[in-house]
Amino acid sequence: MTDMTRRQFFKLTGATLVGSSLGLLGFAPGPALAEVRQFKLLRATETRNTCPYCSVACGILMYSLGDKAKNAEASIVHIEGDPDHPVNRGTLCPKGAGLLDMVHSKSRLTYPEYRAPGSDKWQRISWNDALDRIARLLKADRDANFVEKNADGLTVNRWITTGMLAASGATNEVGYLTHKVVRPLGLLVFDNQARV
Amino acid sequence: MQRVLPSDEIARSVAQPIPRLRLPDRAAVFDRRAARLDRLAPDHALSGYLQLMADVARTQQVLLSALPPPVLDSAELARAAAHRMPVLPAGDHRRHREWQPILAGLCERLAAQEHRPGTVADLLRRVHQIPAPVLDEQVDALLGGRPEHVDPATAPFLMAALQVLWVALAAALDPAAVAPLDVPGVCPVCGSLPVASIVRGDGHRYLHCALCASEWHLVRAKCSHCDAVDGIAYRFIEHGNDGVRAETCEQCRVYRKILLQEKDQHVEAVADDLASLALDVLVGEAGYHRASVNPLLWPAAEG
Repeated sequence: MTDMTRRQFFKLTGATLVGSSLGLLGFAPGPALAEVRQFKLLRATETRNTCPYCSVACGILMYSLGDKAKNAEASIVHIEGDPDHPVNRGTLCPKGAGLLDMVHSKSRLTYPEYRAPGSDKWQRISWNDALDRIARLLKADRDANFVEKNADGLTVNRWITTGMLAASGATNEVGYLTHKVVRPLGLLVFDNQARV
Repeated sequence: MQRVLPSDEIARSVAQPIPRLRLPDRAAVFDRRAARLDRLAPDHALSGYLQLMADVARTQQVLLSALPPPVLDSAELARAAAHRMPVLPAGDHRRHREWQPILAGLCERLAAQEHRPGTVADLLRRVHQIPAPVLDEQVDALLGGRPEHVDPATAPFLMAALQVLWVALAAALDPAAVAPLDVPGVCPVCGSLPVASIVRGDGHRYLHCALCASEWHLVRAKCSHCDAVDGIAYRFIEHGNDGVRAETCEQCRVYRKILLQEKDQHVEAVADDLASLALDVLVGEAGYHRASVNPLLWPAAEG
């Protein structure tokens, strides 16, 4: 196929159909072309992703309808197990099978919120404020409760008053980075994808 | 669609790998195509053409049934598989002269049917008289990816005859003797391009070979032409048959149709691709090129 050209790829149009097998065999493409004018093209997508719930990390396919380029907003209409995924082969547990409800849930959390001690109100805060506050509290807890030596005087450097749960849809690299961040702090109470 | 699986069924399905290759069913492949075309033809804007192709497919099945089972050279198959090459390459058509008598038989039988319009009858006579060297050159262009040298009038009949032989060859294979290729977009049996893909009832997607009707597995939501996974979308006609969609790729701006058995269990790659010409026109207007031809409908040489 040394002389492969762009002509390999083509479009079926009024012009190419007249001289096509159809036209040359005496079948007029006219009615088919006229009919096309009343049709409208819709767009759907299938997006491959990982279930966010547990560390089994099942593959999912998310189906959406709608054209991002036009005014209609794309919306996820269905989620099912990815039949090609080696972990779950198209299946999902009942929790995973209900993912669509989580996506469209009215109470789904999409930004950080803060409830002050003693208050009954949640207030929206920025990601920067949230991350600063988490970092400050982690440090305060670690400074107060870090265990350098155990009862026998052996150096242990552990911090067990704080725990951490990391994401299920994480790659090997994210698992590696999680360990690099968490282990040097002395955190023992943590779980992430690298365990599975 | 979603149901609770008993635990033994889960264990069974995990133990079974996804079937990589589905070889054609020699006893039914063309009859199924003919039945599908018969079903699609009434009230269709291309009704006459679909009926003609249904007759072609029916005749193909008759000719295939009359063909003795081919004898394959196992050493040759093993060598091709060892190098991850198609085991029955379409480029070898000069070594398989049997397809030419099949073409003659096809034309004779089709011409003998009385309701044929004049243009078709004349053409069938013309195909009959093409000398063998010219036929060989035509087939080089048909199978070698040079559509600009193809005569679109005779091409569907030549392809139909070649299909009969290659289905017979492919059906005689042991699937285990066929190696997966390094390129996922061509047929591992004969090296031809797929006509369309089908998502089977079990959710697995298979590409359907335009020549030998073998089907090979390709993961979903991936461009069957350039392998890209980003920017894949599915286009279909509003209030139309949403079981036939065009899988468009933003990376290479090419599309190939994908048929959903979940929406219509009788979908057949060649027939449904042919009968969804309106989708081709619309997707072409939206700026995408077709990845490969339908073996039964070749566009004008100067497209």
